[in-house]
Amino acid sequence: MSASPITAGATLSARSRTLQLLGILSGLTAGAWLGAAEAPTKLVTLGLSPMVISLVMVIGVFLARWSLPALILGSSSISADARRAPHLIVWAILAGCLWAVANTLTVYAIRDIGLSIAFPLWNSNSLLGILWGFLFFNELRGAGLSRWLGVLGGTLVMCIGAAILAIASSGAHTPGANPAHGILAALGAGVLWGTMYIPYRKAYLSGMNPLSFVTFFTIGELGMMSTLSFGTLGSQYLFAQLSAARGVIFWLMLGGFIWVIGDLFQQYAAKYVGISRGIPLSNTNQLWGLLWGVLVFGELHGRSTITYTQVIGGSLLMILGVAAIALASASPKESAQWKAAALRESDRYGLSPDFVEARMDGRQSIGETAPSRGIIDWIFVAVATAVFVYFASIARVPNIPAHWTPAIFLSIASLILLAVCGLRLWRTTRFQ
Amino acid sequence: MTNGTGTSQQSRNLFSSVLTDIQFWVPVAVLLAGLLLLEWIR
Repeated sequence: MSASPITAGATLSARSRTLQLLGILSGLTAGAWLGAAEAPTKLVTLGLSPMVISLVMVIGVFLARWSLPALILGSSSISADARRAPHLIVWAILAGCLWAVANTLTVYAIRDIGLSIAFPLWNSNSLLGILWGFLFFNELRGAGLSRWLGVLGGTLVMCIGAAILAIASSGAHTPGANPAHGILAALGAGVLWGTMYIPYRKAYLSGMNPLSFVTFFTIGELGMMSTLSFGTLGSQYLFAQLSAARGVIFWLMLGGFIWVIGDLFQQYAAKYVGISRGIPLSNTNQLWGLLWGVLVFGELHGRSTITYTQVIGGSLLMILGVAAIALASASPKESAQWKAAALRESDRYGLSPDFVEARMDGRQSIGETAPSRGIIDWIFVAVATAVFVYFASIARVPNIPAHWTPAIFLSIASLILLAVCGLRLWRTTRFQ
Repeated sequence: MTNGTGTSQQSRNLFSSVLTDIQFWVPVAVLLAGLLLLEWIR
């Protein structure tokens, strides 16, 4: 019953196209959920330190990153992944540390130069992602001029659109004490976030499941964020702030939880379309964040026509950039280059090439045990749920004006994307 | 004993593979630079 080489080749090619479409859909879904993650944090109007806000969000992220993979795949599958490629644990923790430092730098960047200048600077991470993808993982090699133009041109157009949106959506900013520090912090965040995708791509070229990768990633994320928070604020001040924030901890943790859903899809995008295409696609989160801000929280209410023109123009540019990238999917020649990069990883780290090929193809390798959940997984899920329920029970209902009809529509749109993409991922790859 | 030696050899190989991989040192260098930048800004 085995397929002939020709049939197998044709099937693989069709499969490859399906996986690329899945990667694009994952990138777009990631954008919607990463953008929606901003909504619960907007409900928090207390004068909390940004570092405390980040820390509480990361705690929510940590709980989600351990409970969701346990619920979807089971921890036995995650342990098996770790045993197969233990070196990737180091990379995952390293990526988590990079994220935490970048996130902290953005706090200083916004303080010193404002969001409108800071955002386009750190959004350059997608350009760096293209560079690392090309240099280390053979992305866009043999892609041809039209695909290069699609990806690079699309990313540049998205960067311009994002810059216009950032300018339109930010209010007048009083420069901080040291604008040079702010520029360096924003650029630094972009470099750290752009480099964070090296471990992502490396993990997926080695066959690691994205759900396993994020489980280890979050150790670095929470560890580094806790170190930075304690180091910057001191334990006494930090605990005082956390105690004062009891009533809003739920909203921040909810933001972290929603962010994890977006990030999971971002991981699948990085796996199936590579980082050069995956990062710009998930950077559409800015567009969704703006939609939540404008439609639900009335952020641009009463602003000039110029501002609205900027928002419409910036959004159109971002959509144009996304379309250019989505249409520039990898050619068979480029896909062969990706496989060569994966082979390098197999050779270097003694991984089974059959296993890596199967995982890159979004399926289990022959003889691999099917994922299953055990008692420990249900304990993870129960603990995470209990923590969320506890903080929800003491949460204060925020008393800020919000338009709930657009909030419901945006939530429905995000849920539809989640259902469609999640179902496609399940049917095509069983979340591999 | 053979298994122990084999495992230790395997760990050494893995360790050396990680440390001689340029793709490891790029994120490490960027992370260190980021931490230095953060410290300098603060």
